[in-house]
Amino acid sequence: MYAVKSVAGAMGLGLIGFYLGLGIVAVLRWLFGYPDPWGGEINIIGGWVLGVFLWLMGIGMWGMWGREWFGLKTYQRNLPGWQRYFTFNTDHKVIGIQYLVTFMVVFFLAGALAMLMRAELAQSGNQFLSNSQYNGTMGLHGILMVAVAVAAVIGGIGNYAVPLMIGAQDMAFPRLNALTFWLVPPVAVGLLATPFLGGIEHGWTAYPPLSVFTNSSQVLFSLSIITFGLTSILGALNFIVTIIYMRAPGLTWGRLPIFVWSMFATSWIALLYTQGFAAALLLILLDRLGFSFFEASTGGDPLLYQHVFWFYSHPAVYIMVLPGFGLALEIIAHFSRKPLFAYKYAVAAFLGILGLSGVVWAHHMFTSGMPNYLHGPFLVATELISIPTGLIFLSALGTIWLGRLWLKPPMLFALAVIFNFACGGVTGIFLADVPTDIHLQDTYFVVAHFHYTIVGGEIFALFAAIYYYFPKMTGRMYSERLAKLHFWWMFIGFNATFFLMHLPGIKGMNRRIADFQSELDPLNLTISLAAFLLGASFLVFIWNMVYSWVRGPVAEANPWQVRTLEWQTTSPPPHENFPAPPVVRGGPYDYGVPGSIHATFPSAPSAGFAGAPAGGGQ
Amino acid sequence: MRKPMQTGLIVAAILAVLTITEYLFATHVGDDLVRFLGITVSALGKAVLIIYYFMHIYRLWRPQEAH
Amino acid sequence: MALATAHHEAAHAPAHNHLAINRAGLWLFFFSETILFGLLLSARFYLEGIHREELNQALGLLITVILLLSSVTAYTAETAIEHDNKKVASWYLFFTIVLGLIFAGGVAYEWSIAHFHRSESFGSIFFTMTGIHATHVITGVFMLILVWAQALRGRYSSKNPWAVSAVVMYWHFVDVVWVFYYPALYLTK
Ligand code: HEM
Ligand SMILES: [Cu+2]
Repeated sequence: MYAVKSVAGAMGLGLIGFYLGLGIVAVLRWLFGYPDPWGGEINIIGGWVLGVFLWLMGIGMWGMWGREWFGLKTYQRNLPGWQRYFTFNTDHKVIGIQYLVTFMVVFFLAGALAMLMRAELAQSGNQFLSNSQYNGTMGLHGILMVAVAVAAVIGGIGNYAVPLMIGAQDMAFPRLNALTFWLVPPVAVGLLATPFLGGIEHGWTAYPPLSVFTNSSQVLFSLSIITFGLTSILGALNFIVTIIYMRAPGLTWGRLPIFVWSMFATSWIALLYTQGFAAALLLILLDRLGFSFFEASTGGDPLLYQHVFWFYSHPAVYIMVLPGFGLALEIIAHFSRKPLFAYKYAVAAFLGILGLSGVVWAHHMFTSGMPNYLHGPFLVATELISIPTGLIFLSALGTIWLGRLWLKPPMLFALAVIFNFACGGVTGIFLADVPTDIHLQDTYFVVAHFHYTIVGGEIFALFAAIYYYFPKMTGRMYSERLAKLHFWWMFIGFNATFFLMHLPGIKGMNRRIADFQSELDPLNLTISLAAFLLGASFLVFIWNMVYSWVRGPVAEANPWQVRTLEWQTTSPPPHENFPAPPVVRGGPYDYGVPGSIHATFPSAPSAGFAGAPAGGGQ
Repeated sequence: MRKPMQTGLIVAAILAVLTITEYLFATHVGDDLVRFLGITVSALGKAVLIIYYFMHIYRLWRPQEAH
Repeated sequence: MALATAHHEAAHAPAHNHLAINRAGLWLFFFSETILFGLLLSARFYLEGIHREELNQALGLLITVILLLSSVTAYTAETAIEHDNKKVASWYLFFTIVLGLIFAGGVAYEWSIAHFHRSESFGSIFFTMTGIHATHVITGVFMLILVWAQALRGRYSSKNPWAVSAVVMYWHFVDVVWVFYYPALYLTK
């Protein structure tokens, strides 16, 4: 088993690197005459850097990449079967599935933490967790879910589908692509190790001064997130270059599937803004080492952190939701069997959100004590974003209108995205208006808002995409009945949990605190029960996926009768994606337009694909 | 390679002049606004020169160009 | 378990596109880094306004000139490779490395004589900005050394200039950052 040996070896190298890094920093500190060479956190930083580097080299980067730096010949091991997924594989389809499976596992882990939190919150007072254990659980849940939201759709679905949709053989930088995935395991290890150093006490936002004074798990948190930021940035870079340079002949910008457009806009946001999170956490690390960026008594300012942090983290919500919108529009168009309504406006909306996303961050800071004159501009800028968001809704609703809806599981989830995000967007307005926000800030109303947008908007789209691409990825079909059961179960559980969560929020129940006023007991018990209902729905999903992947009936190449390129090849596609390079002749959504063709394969032996059957399934 | 080297040296000379200008603005100009403008404009000029002539940013939108 | 020697960079992109693809990727990386450096620059003015502690002006001017000069030598190296002038290219890569090391030494010296401490806010800003920049310089020196070692063996030519171009572009980028950091740290009131 080469794969097992290679992973074990890389882990060994990573550990050696970690201890070596600790030691090197200690020696340096000793040389410079510090009294405590094993000073602690700075050693961890050195260990992390060297450990991650050697881990990457061990997992296969040395053979495929590192050797080149020294003028040696590079080589790649092409392993068969499941072993592909455990090596430094550069095939975008392998990487997509690696991302997807990894982040589904993380999603369920973080979900289990949420169940634990709801168990604690079912009643006022402390039952299962001490206050600091609750904080650690909540912080870990938050940051793991943020990681899932940032990487599952982009890294999983994006990697898998974008090169196929644009008729390319792979991403522009395949080795870089593999590198971004193999940076994820150290991040996961780093974050999951935080409970052993005392737990993340400061939530996913890591505000100082707490994050400067708290236990050393902060250091692991910061290092992991900085590394994760690198993954995001390099991945985004790869998508932008791929979409610009690797499109099949004839695939003009005006014919690009809308999901590819959404990935393009998202990637620019990730490329430019992710540095903010990394910079903010870097400054926290430095402050922990005796700098004074955020220490007011020596001229620092804690608000600086919030500015830098939200400079990334507001755009980050669009990194999360834009690919979700793209998937929803994509699926709605195919399953309504209609051209996508107002395609150009939808593209303009994605680009508009890209433009506006960087100028609204301080709406998270209305109660922070920042200067009052900033309130107005950030209020207005935030509400301006509803214009492009509205255009996306326009496009979705216009496509559904008089369409021939084919209510398969992907379509159900895509329609739910539209419904849920409407709720999340409306609550966003109350949070963007300063007078209401001053009351609602830091309450469960905010928690309800962002779960409606992220879970309702993005995670539902992720499930839509999984049900959409499962046959393509695995070559097998899942049980449609179980998928529909999962949909209704999750939809009802989700709306029950998070709709109810607005109510204690309006009554002033604070987020991030293990205890609350006992008048809110009945409400919180109901929310907890609804949350358990929601959590249980995923068991159906897991069973359906695992069983179908192994035992499911063999899927057709194009089970949904869809016109875009990824469906014009076998399920799963061959290593080089298409039997022959495609040439694009028309738009991807021209269902029912007589004589329309999306793509042909001129050099293929048989004439190739000639447009979707009119009328589609049923 | 005569011609590109000439360009390089001319750019280097302008960079030197701008650096001196910048320094003199900082040490000899009292008015805050004028000093700020002088320094910023010199720095921007240097950056543009390096980005255009040394980093050849125009090759981005002329990919077929032979060096 | 085949052992293939080829890695397929930019699989299926038309061959003439490879250089353009690599170049675009590198520029995107610069855009992203620009935000990082820009955020630190903004933090400097956010915390301290235009206030500044006393610094060694002669040293500041000197290392600035040295870094600009290293950009000129790097430019010469790239131009030489593009004209298949391998000897000149190797020499100028070497000069660039030396100038880069002198710059880093200058920063280290400035650190050792600074009369402020990292626990004051100007110290925080100064050490962080120069530190992150110097980290990029050192990284650049490492990459220059790797490329130089290959250049000495004659591996690059006008047909295969990318590694030299890339490391030189990176070097210029680091220089551009200093073009803004120098006045922000040394030339405010
Ligand atoms: C319709 C447009 C939206 C508006 C007007 C809006 C507005 C806001 C405002 C003003 C806040 C700050 C609340 C507070 O802390 O007092 C907030 C919080 C939040 N929003 Fe939104 N939002 C919108 C869409 C989204 C989307 C699309 C996402 C994610 C996909 C999202 C995710 C979040 C998150 C994660 C927070 C809480 C961050 C935290 O404090 O931990 N929002 N939103
Ligand atoms: Cu926001």
